[in-house]
Amino acid sequence: MDAVAQFFQTFPYDQLLIQTVNGIVTGMILALVASGLTLIFGIMDVVNFAHGELFMLGAYVGVIVMVGTGSFWLALFIATLTVALIGAALQVVTLRPLIGRDPLNTILVTFGISLILQNYALWQFGPTSRKINEPITSHFILFYLEYPWYRILIAALSAVIIGGFWLFLKYSKFGVWIRATTQDRVMAQAMGIPVPLVYTGVFAIGAGMAAASGVLFAPLVGVNHTMGLDWVLKAFIVVVVGGMGNLGGSIAAAIFVSLLESYASIWVNPSQAVIVSFVVLILTLLFRPTGLFVPTPK
Amino acid sequence: MTRHQKIYWAGFCVVMALLIIAPLVLPEFWRRFLTEILIWGLLAMSSDILIGYTGMVSFGHSAFFGLGMYGAAAALLIVSPPNLWLAIIFGLAGAGTVALFVAYFSTRLRDIYFAITTLIFSQIFYVIIFTWTAMTGGENGLTFRRPALSFFGLFSTPFDTATLHWFVLAVVAASYLILRRIMQSPFGMVLQSIRENEPRTRAIGYPVERYKIVAVMLSGLFAGLAGVLYAIQNRFAAPDFVYFLVSGETVIFNVMGGIGTLLGPIVGAGFFLLLRELLGRLFGEQFPYLIPLGFIFIAMIIFLPQGLLGFARRWLNR
Amino acid sequence: MSDAPPSTQPLVLIEDVHTYYGKSHILHGVSLQIGAGEVVGLLGRNGVGKSTTLKTIMGLVQPSQGRVLLNGDPITGIPAHKLALRGIGYVPEDRRIFRLLTVMENLRTGLDRRGVTEGTKRALLDKVFKYFPVLAERRNQAGGTLSGGEQQMLAIARCMMLEPKIILLDEPTEGLMPRMVSQIGAIIDALHQENVAILLVEQNVPLTLSASQRVYIMEKGAVRHQCAASAIDVNDPVIKQYLGV
Repeated sequence: MDAVAQFFQTFPYDQLLIQTVNGIVTGMILALVASGLTLIFGIMDVVNFAHGELFMLGAYVGVIVMVGTGSFWLALFIATLTVALIGAALQVVTLRPLIGRDPLNTILVTFGISLILQNYALWQFGPTSRKINEPITSHFILFYLEYPWYRILIAALSAVIIGGFWLFLKYSKFGVWIRATTQDRVMAQAMGIPVPLVYTGVFAIGAGMAAASGVLFAPLVGVNHTMGLDWVLKAFIVVVVGGMGNLGGSIAAAIFVSLLESYASIWVNPSQAVIVSFVVLILTLLFRPTGLFVPTPK
Repeated sequence: MTRHQKIYWAGFCVVMALLIIAPLVLPEFWRRFLTEILIWGLLAMSSDILIGYTGMVSFGHSAFFGLGMYGAAAALLIVSPPNLWLAIIFGLAGAGTVALFVAYFSTRLRDIYFAITTLIFSQIFYVIIFTWTAMTGGENGLTFRRPALSFFGLFSTPFDTATLHWFVLAVVAASYLILRRIMQSPFGMVLQSIRENEPRTRAIGYPVERYKIVAVMLSGLFAGLAGVLYAIQNRFAAPDFVYFLVSGETVIFNVMGGIGTLLGPIVGAGFFLLLRELLGRLFGEQFPYLIPLGFIFIAMIIFLPQGLLGFARRWLNR
Repeated sequence: MSDAPPSTQPLVLIEDVHTYYGKSHILHGVSLQIGAGEVVGLLGRNGVGKSTTLKTIMGLVQPSQGRVLLNGDPITGIPAHKLALRGIGYVPEDRRIFRLLTVMENLRTGLDRRGVTEGTKRALLDKVFKYFPVLAERRNQAGGTLSGGEQQMLAIARCMMLEPKIILLDEPTEGLMPRMVSQIGAIIDALHQENVAILLVEQNVPLTLSASQRVYIMEKGAVRHQCAASAIDVNDPVIKQYLGV
């Protein structure tokens, strides 16, 4: 009993709260990355290995625009748009020819794209990290920590983007097309929905969302050519845990996994905390392969 | 012997003869290079058992390869004087253990889920090796002395680049013949029928999961063997080789060379490494060779999905 | 041949179409035609290629030989979504409504086309809600929650949103209650009144004969018999030969 009492007395409650805030902040960015990934998978069975590189590319475009104009918001906007266009071009050139082939081919192709983009970034920008300054620098006091308002802003902005995207899916013409195509590609086509255009559009939207998260995240750690790798792995985990192709599930899973990692990092160093989410993934695949956050299929 | 067999074995002997003579005529650099192609070829060939014959794309072969390396490293560092066969046994044990672990969990899943799970497993081992500095040397890895080529006390001679090449060649050639035999056996036929139609294979009454577990184990053991050879050649083990980019390159070797041929992946590894070397020589060390290679890879998936040796697939498997 | 096909240019003309699924040869030279506003029945046992014929017209499978013409223009090779906008509507065998979309959203998939004015949209919706009042009641309910008969109505209504010149109707009465079957018959008649052509694939011979002007009978991937619907009845030897059990 003493040991239990001891545990609760020395339990770092303040850290727990700080890590909760941290977990939600990274969880929201992760949700933004993963919702594009899950949408792309849901609609065209494409596992986009290059998603992390689109995230990275967004951050780099952000850096360039920041250097040129000094405006963070302009950087966010232009990076999203540019990478969305790049995403559309990538889809048309490399994925469209693979429609109807084994989905595994899409992993291979997007892996090739990720190698190209990563090495291009290294070649173009070099190995040193670039910095994007946060648009607001004020802090508030969270226990003994000066917690930056910018982190809270990231979480809020991610929520706004995801919310906007949800409204778009729910009410816009293109949103209805996307959902119809996800459910039944052939029938969507027979209803006059231009399915190839929907595919390209979805890929562009997913790419744009990844780029936006890249710019939002960049002020926290800096921008380098390998930053996409961690994110794509985490996003894969989130997408599988949330149920492949299930948007709401992915968002819940993103926050869940990020919170777990944050809590784990109270006791172990952050690079080991990653293992927690790996374990969550494996347990999910073993016991609920359709995803944690979806109703049991009937 | 049928006509086909005669031609096949004649071709095999010619290629073997060329590879045996190669170190005698090639300069030092290319001697090492050729040995390295064989080692990466063995890794790629091991993954072909899954990709080409069973229809499961593994994105986690770096784990088996890396554990083979670290297993060999353990044997070479602990036992003095370093012993070649002990290194192989340790390496295979390391890779085998990991393979059993990965196989048990990931073979319940199919297609992309299998691919993602193997990827995640390899990252788990990467993180463990990377952060467990006391045991693995962390980021810096481990360095050790190369064992001598010994044969159970009969003789012992230190490796030079030529003897190392012959040793690697012998191991790779033996692995190829063994795997070829296995893939032509009833066991191999079941794997191929899993690739063609898994539900039907199960319906006929084959315990598909058990076959898949054995396939992953087999694949992992040969990948581990490649890791041991690489450790012996380069006298170090580093976490970079457990990182999933190595798994990705393994898949690239397979796709470029032609899956389901066993030999194709070796050709693919050679093609990839030669192109890389060529690009490096033409444009300098700093040249981002993965950019043009990435383009070639993508173009091959779209336009030449059967790979360089794909045209000979049926013939090679007969 | 008891009845000559209409002499003017047919709306849809299929000439000697051969279609394969992988290596299996499904259609062995099917030829048929449908005039504007004509209801044509397509009869035959299961697996003779009726559904494949519809899919070939819709551009969902590509014929390896032969051609399909719409108003005299060849349409083979044109993707399905363009054909849908050119006036071919498709109601597939298992209805295939978008189960997670609401009734309204299901209808929107056909309504959100370029060049459809708000007025037209409202008129189209009013029309189908008049034919199928139950859909108006359930407009915000997910398609998957509807009963089989309601789903069939939704599938037809959704197709009508495209203002098609021809509807390819695949087994619309399969698995429905008799009351629903007669309702489907009524809607076919109503569409006929509006001068929409229908190619009707059915197992229900009496319904097909009463709803159609002409019928084609298929066997083993080819048309074996064609005649005016009024020229035969359910007990006709032809029906016995090709459809009898």
